[in-house]
Amino acid sequence: MWVPIALSRDIPRGVTRAVHLDGQELVIWRGEAGSAQVWEDRCPHRGMRLSLGFVRGNSLNCLYHGWEYGAGGSCAKIPAHPDLTVPPTIKANALSSAETGGLILVDLARTAGPPPVFLAGRPIASLAIMSDIGTVLALAGGLPEAGVQAVETELDGVRLTIGWHVPGPGKLMLHVVAIDPGNVESRALVALHRLRAQAEAGVAA
Amino acid sequence: MSAEAAALDQWYVIGSLRDFPQGASTRRLLGTDLVVTRNGESFAASAGRPLPVRTEYGHVWTSLGAPARPVFELPEILETDRRSIYCGAVTVRASGLRLVENFLDLAHFPYVHTEILGTESKPEVAKYEVEQRRDVDELWATKCEFFQPKAAAASDEGQISQYMYRVVSPFNVMLYKTPPTAPNRWDVIALFIQPVEPDLSIAHPFMLVIDDTSTDAELIGFQQMIFLQDKIVLENQRPRLLPLQPGRETPTRADLSSVLYRRWLKEKALTYGTEERTDRVA
Repeated sequence: MWVPIALSRDIPRGVTRAVHLDGQELVIWRGEAGSAQVWEDRCPHRGMRLSLGFVRGNSLNCLYHGWEYGAGGSCAKIPAHPDLTVPPTIKANALSSAETGGLILVDLARTAGPPPVFLAGRPIASLAIMSDIGTVLALAGGLPEAGVQAVETELDGVRLTIGWHVPGPGKLMLHVVAIDPGNVESRALVALHRLRAQAEAGVAA
Repeated sequence: MSAEAAALDQWYVIGSLRDFPQGASTRRLLGTDLVVTRNGESFAASAGRPLPVRTEYGHVWTSLGAPARPVFELPEILETDRRSIYCGAVTVRASGLRLVENFLDLAHFPYVHTEILGTESKPEVAKYEVEQRRDVDELWATKCEFFQPKAAAASDEGQISQYMYRVVSPFNVMLYKTPPTAPNRWDVIALFIQPVEPDLSIAHPFMLVIDDTSTDAELIGFQQMIFLQDKIVLENQRPRLLPLQPGRETPTRADLSSVLYRRWLKEKALTYGTEERTDRVA
């Protein structure tokens, strides 16, 4: 299953972002070349979280010792040994990821097949909800998308793709893109905040 | 997780002398609650049973087991022109063994202590020597050197600092480093670690330095700045426990001291603060 973990808009070039997915720590980052990378958030050298690192050009550099990783996770440079040709076995754990329709997706198990293709939508928001997806879908309705953890639905007359991931127990992150053209952000946001309030109240009750 | 003999039979700092009020106060060591009682300048400790206590190097030491050796020697304490500087206790959400490894590490200076203990334009770690001194059961790393823009509180220009590292027990480590003002002597910076839980530590940095110019506040402020930079890294290493299983992490030549340290921990069968191994039958 392809799992949406962020909106493309929220990961501009030069940025790293830590994401929890089912208790696992991931990092999303984007270099100058423009494609989003999703890796295990851990430098293979001394276990440092790479999300605290820094992006330069098309590489992600670990904060601890400056080890430099390129797209795909290969380590290109170990500054403590400037003359060393880094063995290809030294790699960050790059995960199977894709980007489509304004969503960044990951397939942890590498069993989901080719990534889906969505038309470019209008990014609305990533929204944390203290609830579960069953409660949210009972309120929001919608049709499941094939092969991706998302539904297409309509809230307050705005057509939306709602993707989600579970950071950890009792938490949910929605990643919402509007399919309709036009100026629908504020209407969609109001509807989403109401959805959140209802879902969280439902869990409490 | 309860502590094993290799961890129990060691001396640990539980605070500097000045940290303890008269009367009873509490501490925690290796997952065990302690009561420390100060009566004037004499100290007693218990964990439901009396524990041995030593006061050395301005700190209170105790053990939950039966240490085979006395508290290690630190002869520089007798040199009267040195200043003893207590830098304060710092709690770190990480294994104490990770703290030791970070303390032994030169390669992080340009990235974690940028433009202070290192600079990105000179990141190379030159070959140094490591040895296990079996007579005293200590690890040493010698002939270490590194370019430092601001090596110490009293520095006004960059220098190539010489370092020696000395690991005296799994949770106690010190370094010897050329002071900016006395190139033929060694400053001593010690890190006494109180393992509270496997993944929670209190660091007690302690210095014996040769410096006629800096105030205590400047020396403490410098050390605290460095240590807080390290804390950011230490609390973001995964796992928080030190992995001893081959292949879990990737050492290079610059990590020779860490490689020796991990081997020494395995030799001692020390597991407190280490990640559980999955590559061998229990």
